[in-house]
Amino acid sequence: MHKLWLIIKREYITRVKTKGFVIGTLIVPLLGVGFTFLIVFLIGHQSSQAMRLAIVDDAGGIAPAVVSGLQTRLANGQPQFSVTQTIEQPADRDAVQEELRGKINAGALDGYLVIPANLSRAVELHTKNPGNFSMFGPITSAVNEAVVEARLSAHGIHVDNVRDLVKSADLQVIKVTKEGESVEKGQTIGIAIALVILLYMSLLMYGIITMRSVLEEKTTRTMEVLISAVTPSQLLAGKILGVAGVAITQFLIWGATVVLLGSYGVAMAAMGGAGSLMSNIHVPASLMICAVIYFFCGYFLYSSMFAAVGAACSSEQDAQQLQWIAMAPLVFTMLIYSVVLNDSTSRLALILSEIPFFGPVLMPLRVSLQTPPLWQLALSIAILLLSIAVVIFASAKIYRVGILMYGKRPTLPELVRWLRYS
Amino acid sequence: MDAISLENVTKAFDSVIAVNAVNLRVRQGAVLGLLGPNGAGKTTTIRMVMNILVPDEGSIRVLDKPVSDESRNWIGYLPEERGLYPRMKVRALIIFLAALHGLTESEADRRAREWLTRFELSEWSEKRMVDLSKGMQQKVQFVTAVIHKPPIVILDEPFSGLDPVNATTIKDVMLEMRDQGSTIILSTHRMEQVERMCDSICLINHGQNVLDGDLRAIKQSYGKNTAHIEFTGSDAFLNSPAVASVNRFGSGVEAKLKPGADPQELLRSAVQTGVRIDRFELLEPSLNDIFIEKTAHA
Repeated sequence: MHKLWLIIKREYITRVKTKGFVIGTLIVPLLGVGFTFLIVFLIGHQSSQAMRLAIVDDAGGIAPAVVSGLQTRLANGQPQFSVTQTIEQPADRDAVQEELRGKINAGALDGYLVIPANLSRAVELHTKNPGNFSMFGPITSAVNEAVVEARLSAHGIHVDNVRDLVKSADLQVIKVTKEGESVEKGQTIGIAIALVILLYMSLLMYGIITMRSVLEEKTTRTMEVLISAVTPSQLLAGKILGVAGVAITQFLIWGATVVLLGSYGVAMAAMGGAGSLMSNIHVPASLMICAVIYFFCGYFLYSSMFAAVGAACSSEQDAQQLQWIAMAPLVFTMLIYSVVLNDSTSRLALILSEIPFFGPVLMPLRVSLQTPPLWQLALSIAILLLSIAVVIFASAKIYRVGILMYGKRPTLPELVRWLRYS
Repeated sequence: MDAISLENVTKAFDSVIAVNAVNLRVRQGAVLGLLGPNGAGKTTTIRMVMNILVPDEGSIRVLDKPVSDESRNWIGYLPEERGLYPRMKVRALIIFLAALHGLTESEADRRAREWLTRFELSEWSEKRMVDLSKGMQQKVQFVTAVIHKPPIVILDEPFSGLDPVNATTIKDVMLEMRDQGSTIILSTHRMEQVERMCDSICLINHGQNVLDGDLRAIKQSYGKNTAHIEFTGSDAFLNSPAVASVNRFGSGVEAKLKPGADPQELLRSAVQTGVRIDRFELLEPSLNDIFIEKTAHA
């Protein structure tokens, strides 16, 4: 047990002292926090100037309605649009447009609208900055309302407030859970997809770290010295547990960062600031616990496979070619997770999430969408634990033989044959 | 009590029999030369003694107990392929490996400092392994094999890559350990080292033990069948039917005689051809000759 502890300790300390760990653990969250603050800052400090517009109204009588429709305001409370000029049914439209173009190029105007005489044709927006998407919605809405009002008037229907008349009905989604109901604004899907990506990336990343660690001991020929002191099983277990310790450390630091960010979001929500966007995101504790349990089950399953691959290869190149054996089920999970996302209660979703190689990602996904019955979770965990035992047993056999084999990369049948060696 | 004993040990990898019914007894305190051509099965045998590989048949005992994971603590092992964690610092690495062999960290630290001083590596103790020269790395690796004072030490080509000064240092340590009662197994292709250091040998070829026992007795069993001759004149007398083979050196020749041949006949025919004989000495065969004879035509 003491030897196992020494291996775990060395593996852990070596990993957490690497630049990769520092970058992955500290700089990535710092960048995340930095970007969050940047986004919040940018949202709070979006363009503070009104867009200067001119309207060329070929139809006649539409422009005033458009102007009155452009009532949106910027974050600083100022109007988003300032209509500087309206030109009704110009005699020489080309000359007018030429003049307006000149103003835009001189910086005196940001754009102009051309409302055609025939209202069934498209309204044109001429601007130097077509990438400013924030202006499209209000302009489209104002023009729509003005045109609809004009059409109705042409048919003898006079309406005081077209906006209320043509406003489409909203569909609000309410998520029903055992705890009650909550308004759904896409956060469930967002959390689910984020969870899938996080689990996939973590399982892949820590699996590859384990593989590289084994490979390093093999390529530097340290392995032979180590196994003169400890058993291959102790070495394999120490390596996997050491890297698991690294994962726990990384998650704790990331978790603390998320909690801090969440607190910031709540504080901003209380103040009504832009950071309140984050207060909409609420990850239930049960989901986090479930994700952690399945991560570690998945980690032990996949990292022992990656360790076996590392042991079987003699070079980084060989390992890159052989790692598909461990990666394939994970990659396949990413191809099929949409099945669960679309209907987490379907029979197919149930079957897929009970398969041990897919379960570590798909079961937390199901839990994030709709908590499955307890027996399904229990069955999944039981199958996973059994599979972990079988995979670790097989990986340990391959590891025991592979760590002393040098030369050409083994084929899949050779790996299977190694399982029979004593 | 034997330090190590192997009884009918066989190990196969698929259809390749790496070790075939090997029997071997290494008495405690002996220095055994484990010899054999490349691929003969020496490393597989060592790995089975280390309990890294499990024999398909037969039994292995270490210090009179069946080989087990525990027996790793009684053996110090210097593998032929050198290598240690390249980014670890020298002293930390020695302490880590010593702790794996059962030493407390404080004791491991104390011994590490002693060994580093003895091998003139104290200044390098806080450097990373990758910063050391090949010879220095090899000395560190030797330290990791013996720091826990194991009763059995297995050294695979311990002198390769070492300059004469360092090779002498390592040799002195080995002899010191022998004098303190350790059993040493020396696997090497350098026969002169084996002749100088070992009291017994085991020669493995094609996975089989083809020769083992006391080195002096083995050589005596061949008899003094080699004539070392230094002479001036024609070497036509070496075509004598009594001569089996000739090994020429700058200063003379070594003529291996056929079984039953009389060396006096060879001397007489040399004198008769008018050759001036400066030296004529009958020798036991060298270990090199025995190795070649046992392995070249097998």
